[in-house]
Amino acid sequence: MRLKLISCEVLYREMCHACAHSPHQVDLEFLPKGLHDLGGKPMAAKIQEVVDRTPEGMYQAILLGYGLCGNGLDGLEARHTPLVLPRAHDCIALLMGSRERYLAYFDGNPGTYYRSTGWLERGKGLQQLTHNTMGFDESLEAMIGKYGEDNGRYLYEEMNRYQAQYRKLTFIETGLEAAGKFIDEAAAEAGEKGWSFERVPGDLAWLVRLVEGEWTDAEFVVAAPGQCIAASYDATVVKVRT
Amino acid sequence: MLDLEKLNEAVIEGNWKAAAAATHAAIAAGVPALTIVSEHLVRAMDEVGRRFECEEYFVPEMLLSARAMKASMEIVRPLLAAAGAQPVGRVVIGTVKGDLHDIGKNLVASMLEGGGFEVIDLGADVAPQRFIEAAAERHANLVALSALLTVTMPSMKTTIDAFQAAGLRGTVKIMVGGAPVTQQYADSIGADGYSDSAGNAVALARKLVAA
Repeated sequence: MRLKLISCEVLYREMCHACAHSPHQVDLEFLPKGLHDLGGKPMAAKIQEVVDRTPEGMYQAILLGYGLCGNGLDGLEARHTPLVLPRAHDCIALLMGSRERYLAYFDGNPGTYYRSTGWLERGKGLQQLTHNTMGFDESLEAMIGKYGEDNGRYLYEEMNRYQAQYRKLTFIETGLEAAGKFIDEAAAEAGEKGWSFERVPGDLAWLVRLVEGEWTDAEFVVAAPGQCIAASYDATVVKVRT
Repeated sequence: MLDLEKLNEAVIEGNWKAAAAATHAAIAAGVPALTIVSEHLVRAMDEVGRRFECEEYFVPEMLLSARAMKASMEIVRPLLAAAGAQPVGRVVIGTVKGDLHDIGKNLVASMLEGGGFEVIDLGADVAPQRFIEAAAERHANLVALSALLTVTMPSMKTTIDAFQAAGLRGTVKIMVGGAPVTQQYADSIGADGYSDSAGNAVALARKLVAA
């Protein structure tokens, strides 16, 4: 098959690895990290634009390297080519290899901040995609410069207080981490923020099944031309809507 | 000559020191506490909400206005109690179990307080039982649930179901919000209302407690 993969850049290394080993020819396109900050409808519109640019008749299917991602894939319509989306809430589920494993870990480890290769190296110096996130990654100096000493300091504390509510940084290892640099960086971040640090083995088998065309209904939703992907609000995460 | 609009301006501009000073001046001039709240704080926060809606204000500006409003409320609150003033409603608010995101929820809590509600903020990662206990203890008529992840949204349903199981569903109105939440989801879990932003939340809350 010839397939097109539209994926979040957070999964860059993992997707490239899987596609390089796929028996199918997969054309890759990566979109910027952080589209979920735009909100569900704007994110879906951005991905729809890329889907709509795909030439008709060139691919047997368009694969989506995403989960539901805060409803950012809700409403996406298949035009002339079927769309295939994993039944995942987000990329953390994909990196862990299953919905069940993600939910079990999530419920058993409250207050966890997740990192992976892409979550560390992608989006550094991220162009501000939306003013919804304005102020969240600014330094104390920048906030003081913008809002004055008193208000600037107050905003910096308010907008970074969430860090005290998290307890652990979990790095999901997929075996693609070069020479320990990602582990070291993740451990350093945990130390800086006063969080404990855990390494959890990831499982890329779900991503591999995406790019190898093994789309069982249990793991993937397939939207035929004219159908839309929609949030199902149940354990299947997403469904098809005609 | 006392210019009470200065209080409105101070809140809208996010200047807490000016808001506190204007509040003291108003009290010294004999302006009733309830007037300070309903004519000035409520109106100012409605304007702040409007600016957020049309994307003139973003999270930082909202936080600064909320800070200014709270500085004024700190001064006025004991006088309101002494005058026997009743809040527009009593709302228990929190981010649901499993979810630690709270900035949006904090903004809504501030907007509700500025809108004349008594707000009981339970924080984040709040289990259904805590919502029930707080609503009962504080005689709340409104519960506001926030979630930022599709993976924690099911806790909204468990919370509403818990009120049902406890035989208390009819004692409160329940509203929901948060980035991935939709009207459709709110309807499917039996919520009484959904608002898509902090600005709209106050209007919805007022409608729900009046019903």
